[in-house]
Amino acid sequence: MSADLDNTVSYLEVKKGLGSWLYTLDHKRIGMMYLCGILFSLMLGGAFALLVRTELFSPGMTIVGQDWYNKFFTLHGAVMVFLVIIPGIPAALGNMVLPIQLGAPDVAFPKLNLASFYLWCSGAFLLLLATGLGGVDTGWTFYTPYSIETQTAVIPAVAGAFLLGFSSIFTGLNFLVTIHKFRPAHMGWFQMPLNLWALYATALMQVLATPVLGITLLLLFVERFMHIGIFDPTLGGDPVLFQHFFWFYSHPAVYIMIVPGMGVISEMITTFARKPIFGYRFIAYSSVALALFSFLVWGHHMFVSGQSRLANMVFSALTFSVGIPSAIKVFNWAATLYKGDIRLDTPMLYVLSFLILFTIGGLTGIFLAVLSIDVHLHDTYFVVAHFHYVMMGSTLVAFVGALHYWWPKLSGRMYPETIGRVCAWGVFIGFNLTFLPQFVMGSRGMPRRYWDYDPEYTLYHRISTVGAFILGVSLFVVVCYLAWSLKRGKKATKNPWGASTLEWEAPTPPTVFNFPEPPPEVEIYNYDDLVEVPNANEDGVTNWERRPAADKPATSSHH
Amino acid sequence: MSDHDHDHGHGDDGHGHHGGHGHGSPWIQHHYDDAQHQFDSGKLGIWFFLVQEVLFFSGLFVAYILYRYHHPEIYAYAHSYLDVKWGAINTAVLIISSLTAAWAVRCAQLAQRRGLIFCLAVTIACACGFLGIKYVEYSHKIHERILFGKKFDPCIASAGNHLLNKENYCPGVKTSVVWDAKTNKADRGCLDAPTGYDWDPALKGIQGKCVVNELTMSGTGANRKEVSRRPVEACAPSPDHGSGHGGGHGKQTYPCWTLEQNPHVCPKGPGAMVHYGDHTSRGSTVEIEVTCEAVPAPVEPKDALAPVDGKLERGEASFKKPVTPSKHDLKHEFQSGPPPEHTNMFFSIYFAMTGLHGLHVLFGIFVYIWLLVRAIKGHFTPDYFGPVDYAALYWHLVDLIWIFLFPLLYLIH
Repeated sequence: MSADLDNTVSYLEVKKGLGSWLYTLDHKRIGMMYLCGILFSLMLGGAFALLVRTELFSPGMTIVGQDWYNKFFTLHGAVMVFLVIIPGIPAALGNMVLPIQLGAPDVAFPKLNLASFYLWCSGAFLLLLATGLGGVDTGWTFYTPYSIETQTAVIPAVAGAFLLGFSSIFTGLNFLVTIHKFRPAHMGWFQMPLNLWALYATALMQVLATPVLGITLLLLFVERFMHIGIFDPTLGGDPVLFQHFFWFYSHPAVYIMIVPGMGVISEMITTFARKPIFGYRFIAYSSVALALFSFLVWGHHMFVSGQSRLANMVFSALTFSVGIPSAIKVFNWAATLYKGDIRLDTPMLYVLSFLILFTIGGLTGIFLAVLSIDVHLHDTYFVVAHFHYVMMGSTLVAFVGALHYWWPKLSGRMYPETIGRVCAWGVFIGFNLTFLPQFVMGSRGMPRRYWDYDPEYTLYHRISTVGAFILGVSLFVVVCYLAWSLKRGKKATKNPWGASTLEWEAPTPPTVFNFPEPPPEVEIYNYDDLVEVPNANEDGVTNWERRPAADKPATSSHH
Repeated sequence: MSDHDHDHGHGDDGHGHHGGHGHGSPWIQHHYDDAQHQFDSGKLGIWFFLVQEVLFFSGLFVAYILYRYHHPEIYAYAHSYLDVKWGAINTAVLIISSLTAAWAVRCAQLAQRRGLIFCLAVTIACACGFLGIKYVEYSHKIHERILFGKKFDPCIASAGNHLLNKENYCPGVKTSVVWDAKTNKADRGCLDAPTGYDWDPALKGIQGKCVVNELTMSGTGANRKEVSRRPVEACAPSPDHGSGHGGGHGKQTYPCWTLEQNPHVCPKGPGAMVHYGDHTSRGSTVEIEVTCEAVPAPVEPKDALAPVDGKLERGEASFKKPVTPSKHDLKHEFQSGPPPEHTNMFFSIYFAMTGLHGLHVLFGIFVYIWLLVRAIKGHFTPDYFGPVDYAALYWHLVDLIWIFLFPLLYLIH
């Protein structure tokens, strides 16, 4: 992106051709490219999930044997975690929205941003290469010593995850500096949209936790090549050290996934309730608290890995404490809805899904933090259901909701509302059908990652498989209609939802440097001066306009 | 990336930066308000990057602490394979390069172009020197098989002499002892205590009349035949032991033999060892045959403190004057025993830490070459010197990590 671009033209149209995309330094275009890659990966990971679920439709062999089953669940996990959920909200949506919410022309380091994207592409390529070379069967966690011994394509998969980690680190670094250095003078820390607080907390975790994954995977990589022995018990190494290192990253990674989801939920819930967010500071601080706690609880993944009893108790107690900031957020969101002017547009349906699913996912996490109960539930479908409620039911639902929310701004087009709502219901119903039975199965002892099972679990597995297909079809339709809307959707207005943050003051779609005029000072989460204008454009889409300053009511009440 | 007319809406007072809005240097990117804004952003960015680097290395430091806590004996034993001299030189080299890196920043701030170029060049030279020394250290270790995992198979040293490793491969040395890898001990060639010599462990020397021949063999298994043989003289006593460090090692004639005790190799008694004084491997066609006469009748104990007169009889060849062991000797004493189990783990950690650090040095060299090119082109001005500053911060961190690595790996007691 050079400075001689015309800043009165939409970023989508300012330059044409493939090269103008591949070499772009525009954060919105980079975000769009991420979005394409992530949605493709989502379809791929979803396909693996459906293969797993199809195999589990009946006990014994249904479509594939055990080796392929192991590869399918590994690839499902690795693709979904590393390629979809971790970069989903920060790298795709965050990239597009963060600078505009700040009123800035771009992120602090546009070239680094593009480099992150290409690191992501390289990592994705290596993961796909691992798939092509016969897949990986270690599970996405790459636990040693099995990952040292297995003959499957661990090396490209680990190298891919390593590169994806650095993509994530550089994105986080970029966001941290952007939020520090590109806030306009009138925007103090507590005048920032909550999405930025969430992205800031996420970026902190990305920068602080991901390097540990980097060194862990690097050591595993070297182990595979040269048998250096650090994780190999036959050479005197310690395989449990791998688990410590892995979870020192991968537990914060869970918060890298969920905290940005919470950020976008905070934005949408206030917009669609048309009410200032309740407890702004509590939500802001709780994001940072989650980032902090996330570094203190990794041991709860290892309650049965031979940790000392003391360590187990400490990690268990700290794990309970994670419930506090999470609950603070849920209560504040619920309080925001109270007496709000709630509109059930598609994004809001996803928000409400999120609230329900996140609550279930969070509370079942409390079960698992209890040492005695975890011994029973460890490595069962209960755990599978729990983390899918958080990672998929919460993060992915928030991602899809936020995608609908910002789609008009970023693509300049409205998605079809009716089918959008139908799909939102499909996602919610399909998701619960898939994973509620897994809680039951797990508590009755169905172990995770098993290819076969006792016939008594057949009914639960079948319900789960049917649910997974409803979920998969719904998400597939979402991707299809979003792609369709790029050309055929109704033209979007500047502020179709009546949202109050700065990105809605930019043109739709934003110009190449986001704002052709200096962005106005707006008071976020104040809806008093927004007026609905129906049929504001030729496609009959609503717009919300700001009343001139003179008409503003004397007070507003959001702090 | 040139100057432009767009106002991105920050306004001149957008970030409270003073100074004109016009970008002074052509290297100020358009989305920053001014040079200061770009510099501050870059500085914050590099600091976050350094935090990331610290955490990247932290995994290895945790592994180091953990293994050292569980196996202090490995660390106490293995660190003596590292050469403190090279480590110390490298520390000095890196500190000098950090000085020039910092000096380069000052030169850039003061627009001293020649000083900047000089400092950058010295930094690059020091970094290359560091890697050169690391190359010397690494190649020595590869040569001696002081490596990680199963590749840890060093020639166990005894009183400074090479013995043999588990594969009977030690350059420059051939022994009569054959290592049996299956039972993990020496099975042939070790001399049993009652026959042929008198072994006094306290004296670290061997009395006995032995004849050593070097046999050239052909064929394998049952067809193995002797082709030729030649006698090998006993090693002359090193002049070091008579008159301090006055003498050189050059007087030794090669090949020569000694009987040496190494419990790692021969648990009960010594094995014969032939020194060739070169670094050539003889392979399996050369075997050593040792024939020792029965022990003579007990003699009066020698005066251990009497000076060695240089006229030792044959068989007393490697009798060495007992001395109060110095710290240095004790270190070798340590080495002459069998290595503790999993000593390879120390070298796993050593190579992982120094290797990763070395990669960072290598990366730093590329960065500094890039800076040097830009400095020669005159890109850096007092308005725009961010990259020199950021690179120096990175370089200081690389330096600092080495400052931790050096004592942790080389200076263990």
